[in-house]
Amino acid sequence: MFSFILRRLGVMVLTMFALTVVVFFLVNLEPNLKKLAITQTESRATEEQLESWLTRNGYRQNFFVRYGQWLGVMPKQPNIDPATGEAVPRFRFCDEPSEAAYSGLLQGEFGCSTKFRVSVAERLFPALGATGILMFWVMAVMVPISLLIGVLAGMREGTRTDRTLSMASITTTATPEYVSGVIFTVIFASWLGWLNGSAASATNTGITFSNFTLPVMTMAIYGIGYIARMTRASMVEVMTQQYIRTARLKGLSFSSVVIKHALRNALIAPFTVIMLQFPWLLTGVVIVETMFRYQGFGYALVEGAANNDIDLLLGCSLISVFVVLFTQLISDIGYAYLNPRIRVQ
Amino acid sequence: MTFFKNNGNKVPDHIHAAAEQVKAGGLDRREFLALASVFGASAAMAYGMIGLPTPARAQDAEPTKGGVLKVQMFIKAPKDPRLADWTEIANTMRQSLEALVYYTPEYTFEPYLLESWEVNEDATEYVMKLRPEAVWTNGDPLTAEHLMFNLTRWCDKSVEGNSMVARMGTLVDQETGKIREGAATIVDDHTVKVTLTEPDISFIPNLADYPCLVVHPTFDEDGSDFTRNKIGTGPFQLESFAVGERVVYKRREDGKWWGGEVMLDGCEFIDYGTDPSAAVNAFESGEVHANYETTPDYLDIMDGLGLERNEAVTSITIVARTNVTNKPYDDQRVRNALQLGVDNAVVMQLGVDNAGVVGENHHVAPIHPEYVELPKVPRDVEKAKALLAEAGAADFEHELISSDEDWHKNTGDAIAAQLRDAGIKIKRTVLPGSTFWNDWTKYPYSLTNWTMRPLGVQVLALAYRSGEAWNETGWSNKEFDEKLAKALSIVDPEERKTVMGDVEKILQDSGIIILPYWRKVYNHYQPVVHNYIQHPMQQVNLGKVWLEEA
Repeated sequence: MFSFILRRLGVMVLTMFALTVVVFFLVNLEPNLKKLAITQTESRATEEQLESWLTRNGYRQNFFVRYGQWLGVMPKQPNIDPATGEAVPRFRFCDEPSEAAYSGLLQGEFGCSTKFRVSVAERLFPALGATGILMFWVMAVMVPISLLIGVLAGMREGTRTDRTLSMASITTTATPEYVSGVIFTVIFASWLGWLNGSAASATNTGITFSNFTLPVMTMAIYGIGYIARMTRASMVEVMTQQYIRTARLKGLSFSSVVIKHALRNALIAPFTVIMLQFPWLLTGVVIVETMFRYQGFGYALVEGAANNDIDLLLGCSLISVFVVLFTQLISDIGYAYLNPRIRVQ
Repeated sequence: MTFFKNNGNKVPDHIHAAAEQVKAGGLDRREFLALASVFGASAAMAYGMIGLPTPARAQDAEPTKGGVLKVQMFIKAPKDPRLADWTEIANTMRQSLEALVYYTPEYTFEPYLLESWEVNEDATEYVMKLRPEAVWTNGDPLTAEHLMFNLTRWCDKSVEGNSMVARMGTLVDQETGKIREGAATIVDDHTVKVTLTEPDISFIPNLADYPCLVVHPTFDEDGSDFTRNKIGTGPFQLESFAVGERVVYKRREDGKWWGGEVMLDGCEFIDYGTDPSAAVNAFESGEVHANYETTPDYLDIMDGLGLERNEAVTSITIVARTNVTNKPYDDQRVRNALQLGVDNAVVMQLGVDNAGVVGENHHVAPIHPEYVELPKVPRDVEKAKALLAEAGAADFEHELISSDEDWHKNTGDAIAAQLRDAGIKIKRTVLPGSTFWNDWTKYPYSLTNWTMRPLGVQVLALAYRSGEAWNETGWSNKEFDEKLAKALSIVDPEERKTVMGDVEKILQDSGIIILPYWRKVYNHYQPVVHNYIQHPMQQVNLGKVWLEEA
């Protein structure tokens, strides 16, 4: 088991390396560097001014040198003030040092966000916290509801309950967040006026029922249908097993058969699906957070991409790899506990 | 040499002559007010000279102290003010860092951090006197040396994106890229004298522009970053600054604002993103008291919420310009055909819901003091087709590029639709705002927005003179350059107007731009807010704002 986890962690590091190289390559394409220079100087700055800014701030160094600097195996160079010839910090808003120093990922430094004008860690971790809260509520709403729907639909296959619930699940799964989000906002915020159509105040003044319901609802609805369908399929299969018939024959009530005998076995498949929802939620938040202006991970990612915020984008990719692979690791381990037949070699 | 001091109740003779012209109906009132104030008249005096009372701002109730005003506005990354390329960026700093001159909603210029200025007859020498009572939040008094420090910063060409360089005119030494030796001298503790090599009537108007905020001498030691160096002269001091979220100010602790007592306990700017419906929600749920701007399509919705509406006519505009270094736009007939194929009134209706004033395909607005009305050129599809056929470009497919900002996109769509109606082949390309600006001066045919400048000559000098950095049309016309240079130096308004008529006509005839309309801008506020105005250049100054039942 231990070597299995170790191997998985090794794969994670390798994936992070590969992904950051790719992202680093993309953010250093010429139009993207130009975009960065424009946002940092002035939108109508001339070619020469943009070039001079890029050179002065070290963006014209060799690709591998710069990747090495970000990684922490090469020293980051300070800027040289052209007037005095003295070394000055590159980005003062991140308190970068005024001498050459190893300050990269290996030293625990995520770098400096040029868009938000703070260090990446200072921006990204609160954003992750905010997304964590959102994810928690989405999960807290989505998992119980979808399991309930799935079990209710699956325990008596082909009945009217089954058909109705299946129909509803398919509809919600077939509606992407950017459609349902708009519909919900129009209904609950504009027409009825019950809820706040923007979650901007959630980050500033705290989460309330009014400003947080719509984002949670929009994300949960989509997942509910999907998990419910999986649970139903698994439940239907379990209900046809021999041991369920045996349980019925020995005179157990239907409810006790479902709860005591069918449920545990029926939950193995949904468990994987639920764990798969974590990486999905991470991408789902991009749309929902931008739509409702909730300042979480997805919002930071979008803003970083729009402004070619190099260090922030690299930080986001690391986090994404970690979340995806880590949740899969947990689900693999959890599997072994739920189903003793599966043993890790 | 005679100097004319603002608020000094003494103005050059040509201003007196101009006042007579206003009374006789030969000169526009707005033109006179802007000009008279540049040459030293107070608002009261300027109005008095043309026989009108000074418009009193509504003082409907006794101001009450307290409360935190919350304003919805984009919060972009803070920059060194001289690099600010969005009014919003300057607005987030403006509550603490202040401008020298204030352009009033009545289209006059008033001293702000300056107590007064004096200008000589031919606009080559300016004497600027600072307010002796102005104090920085760290306790330092504001002195002439600080003003020198700021003038030097504004003239520094080596700073990438320093847009103040263009505004400083001949104060900059083009060879060294720094302030010209001896061009600005300290007269006494609070007075600086500036000598220009050429007459420049736009010097004072430029000081009222949004990037022109005065910073403390230690500003650059902290990386030219306002969030690190929070020392300002304004009514508020910065508490926190979170990009894309919220900026929090509180009333300055020492209570030493030169403008007097500040009623608000503090003010906040809150970012709700680009979707206007989020602002509606914010008003509905009481999260904000006022907004920075209401787009025309949301005016009725905002009015319906029981909010008060402000509006201002501006010279904010957008131009569909061709770049003459690209074929077939090197041919004037093609460019004129594009102009003739479009009815500007229809573009204004579709682009900004009629919230504006129709433009005439040259870059001087009716609110500009030097505006000369040219004969109207109506839409003429047949003539447009004939011109294209003559130029051999009848089958050419044009591509009109714009950014994805709503009113840019809608205006572009409206122009393209009109051209299509006229039988001209045209394709639309909409680029995201974040990439559009990468090549904005190079597109063959695209839309560019221009912000408000108080004088008509200002944008002309920036964007249409040969070889200027912002000349996006690649157009170069010797006659235009000469006439504009002349206009920039003529002080007498009537005389300048005769040149301006030609300048406008050359620009219009060249066909390089379709300028469909001049925008009106709007904002909304809750009825409990007082003194919240719509500034024509969208500057937000909250020092005099107060809240009822705070």
